Amino acid sequence: MNESWNAAGPAVAARAVTKTYGNGVRAVRGVDLEVPPGEIRAVVGENGAGKSTLMKMFYGLEQPTSGEILVGGRPRVLRGPSSAIALGVGMVHQNLMLVPSFTVAQNVVLGVEPGRRGLVDAKAAVETTARLAEESGLAVDPGARVDEVSVGMRQRTEILKALHRRAKVLILDEPTAVLTPQETEDLFAAVRRLREGGMTVLFISHKLREVREISDTVSVMRAGSLVGTVPTADATERSLAAMMVGRDLSLDVHRVPARRGEVTLRVRRLGYEAPTGQSLHRLSFDVAAGEIVGVAGIEGNGQSELAEILAGLRRPTAGTIHVGDTDTAGLDVAGHRRAGVGYVPEDRLHNGAALDESIADNLVVDRHDRPPLARRGVLHPGAVRAHAERLIGQYAIRTPDPSVPVRALSGGNLQKVIVARELSARPRLLIASQVTRGVDIGAMRFMYERLVAARDNGAAVLLISADLTELLALSDRLLVLKDGLLAGRFDDTTGLTEKHVGLYMLGVEHHGPEHLTAGLDTGEEPAA
Amino acid sequence: MTSTLVETEDRREYRETRRRGLAVDLGTTLATVLAALVIGFLVILATGKDPVRAYEALLTGPLERSFRVGRWLEDATTLTLLGLSVAIPFRARQISLGAESQLYAGALAAATVAIFLPLPSVAAVVVPLVAAAAAGAGMGFVPGAMKARLGANEIVATLMLNAIVVRVYDYLVNGPLKQPGSTAVHSERIQPDSALTPLTDWLGIPFGRANIGLGLMLLTAVALWLLLTRTPLGYRIRMTGANPDFAEYGGIRVPRAIEWSFVIGGAVAGLAGAHLVQGVYGRLEPGLAGSLAFEGIVVALLARNNPLVVVIAGLFYSYLRAGGDIMEQQTDVGTEIVVVIQAVIVLLVTAQALPDLLKRRITRRQVARKQGARKQVGAR
Amino acid sequence: MSSVLDVVLSSAFLAAVLRVATPYLLAAFGGLVAERAGISNIALEGQMLAAACTGALVAGYSGSVALGALGGLTVATLLGLLLAALRLELGADAIIAGIGLNLLASGATAYAVYTLLDDKGGTSGLRSGTLPTVPLPGIESVPVLGDALSGQNLVTWLAFLAAPFVAWLFYRTRFGFHLRAVGEKPDAAASVGIPVRRVQYAGLALSGALAGLAGVFLSMGHVSFFVRDMTAGRGFIALAAVFLGGLRPWGVFLAALGFGAAEALAVQLGTLDVPPQLVSTIPYAMTLLALALYAWRRKRRGTGEPVPASL
Repeated sequence: MNESWNAAGPAVAARAVTKTYGNGVRAVRGVDLEVPPGEIRAVVGENGAGKSTLMKMFYGLEQPTSGEILVGGRPRVLRGPSSAIALGVGMVHQNLMLVPSFTVAQNVVLGVEPGRRGLVDAKAAVETTARLAEESGLAVDPGARVDEVSVGMRQRTEILKALHRRAKVLILDEPTAVLTPQETEDLFAAVRRLREGGMTVLFISHKLREVREISDTVSVMRAGSLVGTVPTADATERSLAAMMVGRDLSLDVHRVPARRGEVTLRVRRLGYEAPTGQSLHRLSFDVAAGEIVGVAGIEGNGQSELAEILAGLRRPTAGTIHVGDTDTAGLDVAGHRRAGVGYVPEDRLHNGAALDESIADNLVVDRHDRPPLARRGVLHPGAVRAHAERLIGQYAIRTPDPSVPVRALSGGNLQKVIVARELSARPRLLIASQVTRGVDIGAMRFMYERLVAARDNGAAVLLISADLTELLALSDRLLVLKDGLLAGRFDDTTGLTEKHVGLYMLGVEHHGPEHLTAGLDTGEEPAA
Repeated sequence: MTSTLVETEDRREYRETRRRGLAVDLGTTLATVLAALVIGFLVILATGKDPVRAYEALLTGPLERSFRVGRWLEDATTLTLLGLSVAIPFRARQISLGAESQLYAGALAAATVAIFLPLPSVAAVVVPLVAAAAAGAGMGFVPGAMKARLGANEIVATLMLNAIVVRVYDYLVNGPLKQPGSTAVHSERIQPDSALTPLTDWLGIPFGRANIGLGLMLLTAVALWLLLTRTPLGYRIRMTGANPDFAEYGGIRVPRAIEWSFVIGGAVAGLAGAHLVQGVYGRLEPGLAGSLAFEGIVVALLARNNPLVVVIAGLFYSYLRAGGDIMEQQTDVGTEIVVVIQAVIVLLVTAQALPDLLKRRITRRQVARKQGARKQVGAR
Repeated sequence: MSSVLDVVLSSAFLAAVLRVATPYLLAAFGGLVAERAGISNIALEGQMLAAACTGALVAGYSGSVALGALGGLTVATLLGLLLAALRLELGADAIIAGIGLNLLASGATAYAVYTLLDDKGGTSGLRSGTLPTVPLPGIESVPVLGDALSGQNLVTWLAFLAAPFVAWLFYRTRFGFHLRAVGEKPDAAASVGIPVRRVQYAGLALSGALAGLAGVFLSMGHVSFFVRDMTAGRGFIALAAVFLGGLRPWGVFLAALGFGAAEALAVQLGTLDVPPQLVSTIPYAMTLLALALYAWRRKRRGTGEPVPASL
């Protein structure tokens, strides 16, 4: 299968690879990367740094716009995963590609089943799986259904799938994100054993401690480019963090110092047990009227869950939340909106808009049943249209007509529709999640000005973003989330650097509990 | 200054594209109907009959005599009501196939009241109608609540309810509600006061069994259109159908909107049952609805679930049905060819990729032309 | 009450159950294969009807029962492939396309019969013959069972063999393995190089063929003619059996058998004082209850998704 491997060359390599997506986003720019056989290579970088795109090109899921991909020392054109698999590349995706009702063994052999004349030899499948598991040290129960085993075992199943296909290169996309510490240890032991057997491993991660522990060399990516490759032995978490964070473009937003008013949002010992995703633990913080509090963190550390809980889309499992005097922890979405909560969701295409409906209809979802739009059970289209025209003017939404379906709008323009809707409700508390993701510079500046204006008009703003530069430019105070816990709290953001906050985001440093809860009144707090 | 210029230019262009989009939509609908008629024509030709004569009867027959017009309008009334009844849940993106059970429940309720309950004149017409709407709504509520509160598959639930209600109806018409002493299977006649006034009485021209139910149907269509476009509930139903995650995010109680869509649709299907009892047959007959319930789905689809367009689609569709009967009387071509034509329309309408393919090709050509023009400007 | 028991325990009743359950079993397995391939085949009804009509017509004109059956199976298989093509190539909604195909079958069969035989009702004017029955030597001597089992139609035996066949296909063969993977998680199947569409086409063809066999039984099993709309909603009931059976071969087998038994019972009870229509609603009412119960339990267990706070 892999005869054409050139033993002398790198196992995988990219030469001057650039990837530009159809919408003009350049995810990877001129990357040169070589991974010699038998090496564990970590690839680190912030979200959107281009790591995943680069890996997808190695696995044939994406094709480079220019430059070439080498597998087994030779340039290759990978039309799809099957050609990558045939060349000995295996990939374990972040969202696992397993059939839930199948057993572990069935998933391992799916597509290359043992057996003759169109039959599947179930016993051979179990034996093969058990043998592979034994050889690699990846413990699985071959006969268990995948939807009934732990996430860790599912992941080991994915790796066994690649081994069953005789992979020589294994790409692991953030494999530890869903694992317990013990499972992580086991995974690392198995990965080391695979390396002894000659396997080349590409390990994508955010967690610098793990990178230090498992990898031989580290490549750092930032904004689509490869910043550097260093032997792991020479790297410290601090030096890696310094290479990872930071953006060339500086933002300066004009804002006067905040005039903090009364505490608007009061969160105490908030807990959330997530069926899937990140759980939250014992979060306590305040947001006052007239200030912007930023929430920093590597994505997936509980920000989405926090935002959805505060907006009423999920129910917390512990703790209290007050907006003003209203206890919102038990209310539905409409109750939250009545209490004065506005929410700009992180994924505007998922739930921020009804894409096939008009701009006018998208602007009234929270107020379609009350005056001035609706009176005595009648919704007045004229009023809806006038409302839309007013907001289109105020928020400079570029459109010829309010009846345009929002699907036709650009990303920034659509985001303006959402921000217009949420801000025009004059919320006491605005939760703004990834407001500037995927929007152009002009719209970005516009959003910043509006957020600051809302603050100056007395709104409490909780700003959640993956973009640290943006957070530092806008926030009056800053919180850092790590693994569903508060890891840092900065009450003064002046002079705060990205590198410093990055250490907290990456878990290199963290604040103690006294510092995190300093000055919070404990009147509402239930006895611990 | 320049920005306003761009604005107006944009606006003109938008209006033009919107007009073009509407034209394309209308064009594809007409083309769909035309294609189905052509296929029917070819089938008739292939089976060795005379398609020209057959189509002449099919397409002009229903208008030739006033009572034929009456037959057409009577059929269109029931069919349009059924189309409206599924259009509402479809708007909330719920595939309700339960019009049949709702219609029979409505017919039973209307007949029971109209046969057994003596009422003063106006009430004698209105109370059975209300009872029918309530019974249909109740029958819609069951699958609606099962879907909204439990997440049970609405297709299976409505199909099962259909099977149950059709059998119960059959039992009642053959048993407790059967006219005593009659050899034929049907119920007693409704009281004369409960009948929906025939158009013949109204206009003095013989219109067969067509009745003021036609007006009721038109009113219902307008009411449903107003519901969808002019009420908060209609807005909630539309947003739930467009993107339930967005609706929920906006504070809409999505399960409630889903339930209401089923209940409203059920009430309208109940009215269709009442129309058959009080307007058309004057009593309960076995197999009252025939295949009308499923054809109502076709009508709603053809109209893209817009209540006002459903009226047009229902009239068109019934016209084909009426024409088919006349065609069969006057030529040797069976009326069933109309069902084939209807089926082809459904298949063409649901093949969404077809018009999209067409639209994309058109826009691509336009973009290419525009880019060509821009390049010329740039070269200058 | 004892008279009901007498009915139920008679060999005639058992024979009736086997006979009545045959089309339900075959169509339900057709529905099951399609459902597991990830495309709901709501066109079972139309596929049965088309096969029943084609079978009777081809057998009548050619004089060959075998040719008739083959013709019926072919037409139903093609309808299965057409549904797959509408779904996969033209982006049609499988449910709506299925409704369209049902309409098409209803209209086209009635039109064909009327055009060929000048008869509105069916093909009773055409001598088309029946499929052979299978005598089981030796079993006649067994009391009750012998009378019931012997002399059943070939298709009835095929219907009862369909359950082990589908179970074997699903769980033992490579094709069944791929079919289930494709239906449950197409991404995962595609990521290991399984040709997703090709598997779905094959599944829908098989689905249509099974429904076709059910249709052929209706017009060529115990009677030798086609009647307009003779499927009378059996395709939809079969679909309900698919869901009630939990999408598993033996569960679907039991559900379809239950629907058949209930219908046979309703017919038998017609001779007694119990209204047969009411008896025949029992399986549907039970399905409805089971559906609600199943949904309720699944909701209580939680599907892993965050439960919307508005519920």
